[in-house]
Amino acid sequence: MNKMIPIMIGSIVALGVMGVMLGRVGKRSSIETGGTSASGDPNQPDLMLFCAASNRAVMEAILADYAGEYGRQVEVQYGPSQTLLSQLEVSHVGDLYLPADDSYLRMASEKGLTDEVLPIAGMQGVVAVKKGNPKGIKSFDDLLKEDLRLVQADPDAAAIGKVTRSTLTKAGLWDSLNEATTAYRTTVSEAANDVVVGAADAAIVYDAVLHTYPNLEFVELAELAPTASQISIGVIHTTDQPVAALHLARFISARDRGLKHYQDHGFRVSGGDLWSDVPELKLFAGSMLRPAIEDTIEAFQQREGVIVDTVYNGCGILVAQMKAGQVPDAYFACDSEFMEQVPDLFPEPIDVSQNELVIVVQKGNPKEIASLRDLTKEGLRVGVGHEKQCAMGWLTQNTFREGGVQQEVMKNVTVQSPTGDMLVNQMRSGSLDAAVVYLSNAAGSGEYLDAVRIQGLECSIATQPYAVSPESANAKTAGRLFALICSVDSQESFAAEGFGWKLSSDTGKND
Amino acid sequence: MTDSNDSPLSETRSPTGRRRSDAPFFLVMGGISSCFILLILLLLAADLKFTSMQEFKAALMKPEIQSAFRLTILSCTVAAVLSIWVATPLGYLLARFRFPGRLLIDTIVDIPIVLPPLVLGLSLLILFHLPIFGWELEGWLRDDVGFPVTYRWPAVVLAQFSVACAFAVRTMRVTFDQINPRAEDVARTLGCTRGQAFMQVALPQAWRGMIAATTIAWARALGEFGPILVFAGATRMRTEVLSTTVFLELSIGNLDAAVAVSLLMVVMAVAVLITLRLLGTGLTS
Repeated sequence: MNKMIPIMIGSIVALGVMGVMLGRVGKRSSIETGGTSASGDPNQPDLMLFCAASNRAVMEAILADYAGEYGRQVEVQYGPSQTLLSQLEVSHVGDLYLPADDSYLRMASEKGLTDEVLPIAGMQGVVAVKKGNPKGIKSFDDLLKEDLRLVQADPDAAAIGKVTRSTLTKAGLWDSLNEATTAYRTTVSEAANDVVVGAADAAIVYDAVLHTYPNLEFVELAELAPTASQISIGVIHTTDQPVAALHLARFISARDRGLKHYQDHGFRVSGGDLWSDVPELKLFAGSMLRPAIEDTIEAFQQREGVIVDTVYNGCGILVAQMKAGQVPDAYFACDSEFMEQVPDLFPEPIDVSQNELVIVVQKGNPKEIASLRDLTKEGLRVGVGHEKQCAMGWLTQNTFREGGVQQEVMKNVTVQSPTGDMLVNQMRSGSLDAAVVYLSNAAGSGEYLDAVRIQGLECSIATQPYAVSPESANAKTAGRLFALICSVDSQESFAAEGFGWKLSSDTGKND
Repeated sequence: MTDSNDSPLSETRSPTGRRRSDAPFFLVMGGISSCFILLILLLLAADLKFTSMQEFKAALMKPEIQSAFRLTILSCTVAAVLSIWVATPLGYLLARFRFPGRLLIDTIVDIPIVLPPLVLGLSLLILFHLPIFGWELEGWLRDDVGFPVTYRWPAVVLAQFSVACAFAVRTMRVTFDQINPRAEDVARTLGCTRGQAFMQVALPQAWRGMIAATTIAWARALGEFGPILVFAGATRMRTEVLSTTVFLELSIGNLDAAVAVSLLMVVMAVAVLITLRLLGTGLTS
């Protein structure tokens, strides 16, 4: 028999055997690295994280903790940030993306590849030198000396190179440094490696990179101070398991979980939520906002796997509760006036929407009410918001005062309610002839009631600010809720309920 | 007119004299050759000096490196065997026959050699995820066949095969070019079919070339890095091969481990190459 035949058959058998063995390499790794998922569903697929290779050491430590605590496996693709970005752009797979710095996440977001972004840690551009600083580098001018071999990361390929060029160009120092640079390297690690092996005397790198280089130290220069960069993790738009992805992202960015490891690995960390498997977010919101935000809050709970305990009430009552010691994670007030009463708890409110006061009357306006002055008509039954209990009441009294009708109208007021919804209900039951409420309160009752606009009084317009408590253990999660409230879908809900949008459309992103 | 003493065939010089005259030849040839050998030895010596035995042992003891080692050996071998299966018929066809489009096919075979490795990886990734009227190759393989490729071990093998096979085809083509087709023609005049002539005459003569092609394919697969990183990723214990380990260790400044893994790859390569060459020599003899 031809001796080639057994060789050919042998090679086919060998291929089959090796194929089986290759298949077992993956299976063996599954057994070695974890058990079942956090949700207890063994069929839940692994999470896939695209992670910058420079973060590998810290990420392995964090994922070991995560596997220990939840038994959930994570498949991590390590690589250069730009390569990873190209991979997820082409393959549309994966759940999370953690590049070497934020600039890649901005690119990903612009391309519609990522949704939520959770900040993790910061890094600072410094000059890496050998232990003991043998070249005595102390100032920027020392980098320009002829006998110094300086390497940098490529400004077109690496984040530190990019930010160094941009910073020094603004300061008018780039040309001289560019001339003094011996070589440009593709990655920041290559630049640091050059100093380790003696191919360079100094390299401009991020300080966090040097954690794994025991033979190197860094010199901070004032000229490089603006080169600080941020690391964040983004949820990939096409993920089919956002709850699990956000669970891991929250774990990585939690101050008592992932951030501890980031700090140990030389990164600069600040903030971060306290870890909770299922965080409970407490939100105080003015009653008027309920129809505009309740669907958004439900969607947020579903996507994030968190619980949002929302307390809707008149803002005066909410302020009183806060002053009595109840501090929510976030507060969405009916009007700025009621945010300004708790400045210590919420120092940085952001105005989100606007709502105007209107006079609601029975369908067809049988009492022929056309202005505030008409509310003074003899025998009219008028309902208004309670001045102390809600923003609407306070705003109504202001409007009456500005319109010069306060005393006359108040004679006709038969009901003062803490919420506009209650007044609308009373209107529909026929117990009132007219009520002064927000346009949003009346938005759902167009079938039974008419609304009369109050003309010429700016003070009849309320502005709704949102703020997150800086003391909150869930500040970042509350920030993401705000981002969702600012989304296009949410803005449509506000518009449908009669609110005007005040915030610029891109505010609220990336936090 | 030729001086008989200058003739290379002249036997008038004594053996001692001939040896003296050969010395400059061997000195020059050996000197030039040794430059390259010396360079490689110096590289290895520098690596050995940079790391230590403890570091080398520590690297070998890591489970993720052991896993990368297993995957590297298996995937390189599968890629090399697949390459020789494809390269042998393709090299034979290109060497023996003139057919329309032969020049084009000859050029296409070289594309993986000239293409930047990252581009090859990206092209593979695009191929598997390109939506064609709503159908996607990766989606079909994953959902209908149950054999996902991207970011799994088959992607490692495919990335290695894509480059390794091109080199193997080139080697096999040269091999068949150098085998005189006369023996096959004679076999056919004696009643052999074309297939029998190929199996019983051409293939046994091409054995050394096949060993060389397998060796080159295996070596190329071992050094492959770019396409694997892009197409298969670098997931620890799953798609991480030794070349990606070196990259990952370098990325976090772990030079000792990177050098240790590099030396491990050198040892592996030397062992496999020597085995293959001995196998080739044994079979040929």
